[in-house]
Amino acid sequence: MQNAKDSFYIALRTRLATLNPERTILLRGTTRPGILVEEAEASFSQIPNDVFVLRWSGVGVDLNLGSAMVAAQCEILYQTCGTQSYGGLDRGRSLSKMDEELTSILQPFYTAKLNYTATPPTAMLTKVFWDEPGFTPVVTQRDRLSHSANVMVYSYQEQGE
Amino acid sequence: MAANWFSAPAPVARRVRGYFAPVSRTSQIPVLFDPAEQGGFSLDAPPNPWISLGWIQGLTRKPGSKTAAVLTGIPAGTLEQVRETLEAQVSFEFLSWTKLTMALATGSQHMNLLAPASGATLAADGATAATAVTVLSGSTATFVALAATDAAKFSPGSIIALDGDYTGQTGFIGTPISGAYVRTALTDIDYIRRVTFNVALVSAVTPAGLTLANALPGGAPASGSELQAVTGFVDREGGSFYQEWSALFVMEGSQGERIIFHYPRLQTISGAQETALPLDSKQKDGLERILLKGQFLALPVTDPLDGERVVCYRSFLPAASALV
Repeated sequence: MQNAKDSFYIALRTRLATLNPERTILLRGTTRPGILVEEAEASFSQIPNDVFVLRWSGVGVDLNLGSAMVAAQCEILYQTCGTQSYGGLDRGRSLSKMDEELTSILQPFYTAKLNYTATPPTAMLTKVFWDEPGFTPVVTQRDRLSHSANVMVYSYQEQGE
Repeated sequence: MAANWFSAPAPVARRVRGYFAPVSRTSQIPVLFDPAEQGGFSLDAPPNPWISLGWIQGLTRKPGSKTAAVLTGIPAGTLEQVRETLEAQVSFEFLSWTKLTMALATGSQHMNLLAPASGATLAADGATAATAVTVLSGSTATFVALAATDAAKFSPGSIIALDGDYTGQTGFIGTPISGAYVRTALTDIDYIRRVTFNVALVSAVTPAGLTLANALPGGAPASGSELQAVTGFVDREGGSFYQEWSALFVMEGSQGERIIFHYPRLQTISGAQETALPLDSKQKDGLERILLKGQFLALPVTDPLDGERVVCYRSFLPAASALV
């Protein structure tokens, strides 16, 4: 399942870097595309603004198949206060832009599954695929707008996984 | 050693893509699809002459063939089976309203509402149309050459219908796509353009002619074609014409495998129907999406491979490295 989670994240990261190269985050001294996996970073009390944060939650397994199917729920969280140059008055637009970016990078709804524990990563036999995102209502907290989308990510367990 | 195969479960597909191609009604020749040669086609660029109708939903295939047992002995036991009738039905919902999806989802001919002439008398399927303009040579499926004065009558966003004048023909009307069957000669010179499938949206206008946003289904205009503006479409409940098309339905699985259903001959069997689908399943009385409902009867063809009569071909192209 970890390979599927890694592949999903890397696919979204690659697509985001192409779609909006300016959405970046400085993390551990390195500038990276503005998307990260919460469980793979140092814990933070509040998610950073203007980046996408992937939070893995529920898992389901269907064993009644030739290859077991694993469904992992991924909550993608993001928030914004708008930009300083507009005094935050553009926070609605900023959030809409992030909504559009997320919808865009989730398509196509599949990617190749790779094993990222190997260097270089090795291609596996199956693909990771996911459903359309389910967006939750926008949460307003003072000048901060937060949004999240739930995506169910599916993959087949391959031999050796 | 790493395994180089996997055991593939049942395919997981999101939706179904639908493609249609016109059956030659006069010669009764359907359009063939070869899954071995053409099965891997790009879903966004189907092989000629298939026309993509986008996603469809609710595809239901209902075999209607009946078999009977040949009994023998006392008490009688089944010796063998014979196929008594050959029939299958297909139904689904189109997720868009276009000229072609409307036509396919109606049980009769489908007509273009030609822009009316000034002061024309009202008519249920469109008043007498404004005079057509002549299409010049050099036109293609995506560009219609016109005289500068004629081109100036159109603007980006116009819908046009393009075909020859009606001069008293009877039988199936329209090539390569038949849009109607005329029993006795009519008097409307624009009749072919009323039923033609050669419609398109104008994306740009220059003094040389019209650039079309989508290719004309009939390809480059034939010599002598004329062009008129279209304001919309109309169909009727009733009539005697049945649409007949070759159809292709493709389900692409999550691992790249494909299930393809090829119906060489599909005829519409029901009148125009719509299905309302709530946008929010928790709010049934809120906004609804109106879907065109298509129901079809599959007609048989004779497979030249062995002379068997069949109504549908189902192909499966496995995913790479999947056990078969």
